[in-house]
Amino acid sequence: MNPNTAKNLVVRNMVLYAAAIVMTSCGTATFSKTGSDAQIESLRSFHLAFIDEFAVSHKRFNATAFDAKVNEGNAKFQQAIANEKFTARRPVLNDLAAQFKADAAHLRSKATRGKVTPALASEMKKDVNKIYDHALGR
Amino acid sequence: MPSAGKPKRRKSGKSELDSALDQVTDESVAAATKEFQDLLAQAKGDTTELIRQNAEELERRLILLKERKIDKEDFDYFVENQKRDLRVFIDSQPAQAQERAEKLTLHLLGIAATKIAPLLLAMI
Repeated sequence: MNPNTAKNLVVRNMVLYAAAIVMTSCGTATFSKTGSDAQIESLRSFHLAFIDEFAVSHKRFNATAFDAKVNEGNAKFQQAIANEKFTARRPVLNDLAAQFKADAAHLRSKATRGKVTPALASEMKKDVNKIYDHALGR
Repeated sequence: MPSAGKPKRRKSGKSELDSALDQVTDESVAAATKEFQDLLAQAKGDTTELIRQNAEELERRLILLKERKIDKEDFDYFVENQKRDLRVFIDSQPAQAQERAEKLTLHLLGIAATKIAPLLLAMI
């Protein structure tokens, strides 16, 4: 084989190999990003449902049910953080977990004294949606 | 997005909050009230969405407080949420835009929590 032809073949193969790596990694990133976004949406749904369940005015506070749901939420956030493939997303998930804990503490404090109002629930949900939108870069 | 954009023209007509604050005659709090109203108007007219959104949220929550639909604990809680959210935004701004962004957000929230909210509660 002509040395130039052989050299061209090697270069061509290298270019194709590099292109294949780039295409594969892009595909993986897109797939993982989609999965990561879905995870955040799932956490949002849980967070909003938690507020809907416990931020109800005149509802008797059920400490057992409340604590069970908070523990379930904390476990979900920890699992999401541990499973997150995008390391850059972990601080964002930590922020969301901190918001869930802060919301739970505020809600417990209000609900135990029967001081939950519809406006409190509504504003809490607005803040939750905002922080999740920001987490998703919206 | 830069935060140092020109403010939009202020809408004519007073807001519910402005009308309440205009009733303040006590000179010891009049300066803080005036500063708050000016900053709130600037923030509501800012070209940066987050600054505008923060001002609108703050105004809505002050009205909820005045109407006793939320209490001071709730109000302070929401202010802390807003501050936490805004710190990330301010840190991401270019150095020359940070001071203005901070004034129209964190400083505004600070005056609202320490001066305006107690004033509104005292007016009820």
